[in-house]
Amino acid sequence: MRSNWNRWFRARQQKVSADAAMVGSELMQKWLKTSSIATIAAVVACLAAGPKETAAQTLDGESIVNSACSSCHKRLPDGGVDRISAMRKTPEGWDMTLARMMIVHGAEFTPEERQAMVKYLADTQGLAPEESAPFRYILERRPNVIETIPDEDLGTMCARCHSYSRVALQRRPKAEWLKLVHFHLGQWPTIEYQALGRDRNWWEIASTKIPETLEKAFPLNTVAWNNWQKQEKKNLEGMWQVVGRRPGVGAFAGTLKVDSDGGDHYAAVYDLSFADGKTWSGRGKSIVYTGYEWRGSSQLADDAVNEVLVVSDDGNSMAGRWFLESADEVGGDFHAVRMEKGVSDIIAVEPSHLRAGTSAEISIHGVGLNGPVSLGDGVSVTKMISATPENIRLEVKAASDAADGLRDVQVGKTKGTGALAVYRKLDSVLVEPAYGIARVGGGFTPPVTAQFEAVGYLNGADGTAGTEDDVRVGVMPATWSVEDFNEVAADMKDVAFAGTMQQDGVFVPAMAGPNPQRKYSTNNAGDLKVVAKVADGDGQLEGSGRLIVTVQRWNDPPIR
Amino acid sequence: MKKFLAGAAIALTASVFVLAGSPAEVGAKEFLVTGAKPDKLLVIDAKAREVVKTHTIPNAAPGLLTVTPSPDGKTAYAIVNGWESVSGIDLDSGKEVFRADFSKKGVRSKAMFGMDISPDGKELFVFLSPVKLGLGEYEVQDVHIAVYNTADGVGAQPVRTLPAPRRTALLLSSTDGTKLYAVSWDIVEMDPKTGKVTGTHKIRNWGRENYSEPDVLDVWPQFEQSGIFSTPYYAVRTDLSPDDPAAYKTGLVTLDLKTGAFEAEDFEDTSVVIFSSAINPVRRNEVYMVYTQLTKMDRDKHEVVKRIDLDHTYYCLNVSKDGSEIYLAGTMNDIAVYSTDSLERIGTIQVPGGADLALASIRVVDR
Repeated sequence: MRSNWNRWFRARQQKVSADAAMVGSELMQKWLKTSSIATIAAVVACLAAGPKETAAQTLDGESIVNSACSSCHKRLPDGGVDRISAMRKTPEGWDMTLARMMIVHGAEFTPEERQAMVKYLADTQGLAPEESAPFRYILERRPNVIETIPDEDLGTMCARCHSYSRVALQRRPKAEWLKLVHFHLGQWPTIEYQALGRDRNWWEIASTKIPETLEKAFPLNTVAWNNWQKQEKKNLEGMWQVVGRRPGVGAFAGTLKVDSDGGDHYAAVYDLSFADGKTWSGRGKSIVYTGYEWRGSSQLADDAVNEVLVVSDDGNSMAGRWFLESADEVGGDFHAVRMEKGVSDIIAVEPSHLRAGTSAEISIHGVGLNGPVSLGDGVSVTKMISATPENIRLEVKAASDAADGLRDVQVGKTKGTGALAVYRKLDSVLVEPAYGIARVGGGFTPPVTAQFEAVGYLNGADGTAGTEDDVRVGVMPATWSVEDFNEVAADMKDVAFAGTMQQDGVFVPAMAGPNPQRKYSTNNAGDLKVVAKVADGDGQLEGSGRLIVTVQRWNDPPIR
Repeated sequence: MKKFLAGAAIALTASVFVLAGSPAEVGAKEFLVTGAKPDKLLVIDAKAREVVKTHTIPNAAPGLLTVTPSPDGKTAYAIVNGWESVSGIDLDSGKEVFRADFSKKGVRSKAMFGMDISPDGKELFVFLSPVKLGLGEYEVQDVHIAVYNTADGVGAQPVRTLPAPRRTALLLSSTDGTKLYAVSWDIVEMDPKTGKVTGTHKIRNWGRENYSEPDVLDVWPQFEQSGIFSTPYYAVRTDLSPDDPAAYKTGLVTLDLKTGAFEAEDFEDTSVVIFSSAINPVRRNEVYMVYTQLTKMDRDKHEVVKRIDLDHTYYCLNVSKDGSEIYLAGTMNDIAVYSTDSLERIGTIQVPGGADLALASIRVVDR
């Protein structure tokens, strides 16, 4: 998290010098007047592990909230604190609130105090797991997500500037939602003038209808939160089996040892390796907020990595996303299952696909794996290479007449549904993501790359590609290229200026800023068609996606 | 001009300039006035293609927004200080001769683009959007127009306030000063003394059959040469298929500040983005429009006469009094000069230090 904050604050600083008047934001003005690099550094906090963790752990978040916030937020007769008691948020949401209090309102907290307050607030006024579940992608900083917004008003009111999930990860009563509306227009008075603001009676709608809509969708008091508060929070100490992916590289697997570091703080030791044998091991620290929100910060080989995970209700699995601290678009799925007597699960089979008539070595990753292995019709085990409760390595053969499609993998009584695909010939290749975003960069704002993968599919029973019953075979090696997406892009020569498509499926965008070499001296933005060519037997299949190379994110808070 | 010349020669770092030609010169000379980040007010000899004065406005960062010259061309008023102040600068001496800071203890007020001056130069109108800053919460207040006596100088307080519609982006004084127009969703005409609404020219609420509500946003006052305010609009024909390029219309709103004549007419199927426009004071059928293209449009025939691609985006423009030259400004760090006849580039004026003009207006004063 630390680097995200760093990038956010540094980007702000650069933006002020570059173009503050364009938005007329009070935040920017204050920033310009009061900030120096030193104060920015002091503001930077880390949700995973602060510089003086022990200090943060021993601080009492509740008493800091009650003392540090009370000079502006008065105590209420019911014992609560004005405004603060009337909302619930994620750890990132609370941390953003504290950052705003520091930047805009001159509040001064040490990093340790800030961490202690976030912990207290997220624990006592957080979201229940089922409340945050639909919006994990924003906390996990997943790239290329296109949100589904159920309410058009909230789409135009809220999600034209930031994600819808930023709103959906908060809970407030109507009066408090109204105060948030007042804050928005007071802080950003250009809201009424922007597209989708000026075409309507913005203030009238925002101050009457919207707080009602928001209270209905995201009320302060819910059964889910009441129940979650009563639930016993699980201790995460112990050994875990981990499986994950690094897009463009492949799967990794191994173990995670979790030791207590006091309270909800943990020390983690990872022993991981990729399918090609390269190890990815190291140590990390984590804090678990609200009883289930694991925020980890680790050094794995050469990579500084953050983890944003959800702990399951039974405390026996954790799932979410890891990403590089320096470039959060680089990251992937992460799944851990506790190694414990009585717990068994197949987490992944790698590789997950096998061509009919061929042999291959595969690994079954899981916990508590014990018993005979069955790979479904037409697939036989020719050699058992090794077997532990966490990993079974096998040499297998798919019969030449094995039917196309997914198979369940079974080890003893443990089943991995549809974990292995058998295919003869791919029917189609899709580029994933179908719609990607990269950002030009330079100076304080590094470029944001885009990772694409070519995924082979079978048509399924209906014999038609692109339908519900298509069978996802898996990620295939591909040859990559980009083309101008349309005539406008061709006229602007986007391919020549926007950046470079690498053969590992990563698009590296060009430098930011007006480019005198381009028509209109425009920047190195572009609209590109991403083409993957996949060799399949004697033939070749082609898939394509779209890539928008756009401008920097000037403002990159923990919840976008 | 002559009186002005007597004390106008101000020493600059490199050389000495005055805001007019030699005493022997006959007739007025035109100067462009605009702003550059973070706090510079630029005075430019238009025909000489030369920045002749670079005044520094106190406490102006991060930049200048709307710039309004006084009718006598001696002073320019600029919205500065994060849109929380207006500063009046003497164009000869660079001295701040007027200042009004909008925000007061507990209430932050920002000028939202709209500003104009009465034709006699005595009253300055500024559109403000205030918010009350409580200890634990903000409370949005009603927008309004603050009226200042320009003679009140530095530290001026509003002499009265006028109600105004939210989302007002431009204020326009009628040529005779009897009316003040607020360009919001519609153009509201009011009495500048009382604020009493005396009429409305409908834009958003035009109710045109088979048309959507038009979209208008323009924050650049650049009507002083022709006396006619103009601004582009975008609308959609609802009786045509969304796939039909003819469904998307660009048009021009005009309001004659002398006669009150109002018009809103399409002139093309939308093909480029246009931010702002100005009318030729001599060939009054010609309108020039700018963003990443420069467009000449005949507003009698409602058709584009010529359009060229520009070297980069410009937000705003103005026209010389003789109708021969167009000055493109805003966005980056140069002012481009184009011929109104041919739309050929005939000059470039570089901003000292390469600072961006950003959102600042480009105005013309006659000296």
